[in-house]
Amino acid sequence: MMEKNQKVIIVPCSGIGKPYGTVSREAAYEVTDEMRHAQTQLVSLALLVLGDEESRAVVAGYPAITIDGCKLACAAKMVQQSGGTVAQEIAVLDVYRRHKDLKPLGIAELNEGGKKLARVLAEEVTSMVDGIITGKKAGENA
Amino acid sequence: MSDFLETTLDKFTFKVAMDRFYSSEGVWVKEENGRARIGLSDFVQQRSGDVAFADVRPAGTTLAAGEDVANIETIKVNITYTSPVTGKIVEVNPAMSDAPEAINQDPYGTGWLAVMEVADWETERVRLLNPQAYFEIMKGQTEEETKKS
Repeated sequence: MMEKNQKVIIVPCSGIGKPYGTVSREAAYEVTDEMRHAQTQLVSLALLVLGDEESRAVVAGYPAITIDGCKLACAAKMVQQSGGTVAQEIAVLDVYRRHKDLKPLGIAELNEGGKKLARVLAEEVTSMVDGIITGKKAGENA
Repeated sequence: MSDFLETTLDKFTFKVAMDRFYSSEGVWVKEENGRARIGLSDFVQQRSGDVAFADVRPAGTTLAAGEDVANIETIKVNITYTSPVTGKIVEVNPAMSDAPEAINQDPYGTGWLAVMEVADWETERVRLLNPQAYFEIMKGQTEEETKKS
């Protein structure tokens, strides 16, 4: 079967100085650098905000997964405003609510709970990536 | 006539519902047939940030005014709020365990914390703030926040 999408864009929260923003970026790095390096591309939310043409073109060309650190959902909103399509969105807070023992603390460097939460989040995003690539929703059987 | 008193600071608008009373820390109290429904003000929820968890003392707990009634964990802070009235908790909002974001989404409605049985509402009401009085306190607090930022 042909793949439905060749690449998925990952856009994390740009909140600096907030643990939840850091968790979103750590998770995004794990997905794009390690877990699904070939299938994903990280796009900086800050560049989208600045109207960077290259970033806008990338976002406009592929489905995106946004990872937001708070309810303002800046990543999801900015992708839409940049002409992109949010294929799936996920909020760090929702993942944390399911893993109360992984409270994220720290900013420049996350505590152990924050690192583990980032890993859990990355695994969820990876499932989303796989679903988009294959045209199936995460958790859907073949 | 508006049901709310409002003040706007930068891009934020804070509302104070007119149909209830308040403690100075921003816990609202609404009298309902001799019982007191309690929750957090719009200003408190906006200042505290997105709620991750809300631990409210369980039904059956008897509290004096000023004793801890709920611990709220948000993406920014952990805050313990005290009961604005003396009484017994008879109901805890089930949304607090399932969907505590209701506090952010609808602080004066579905985001209520608990219902308390009070011995004498008239006595309790005396030590609470009316909406206008709380509104003035809240405006002072918003100005303090502005100075900090």
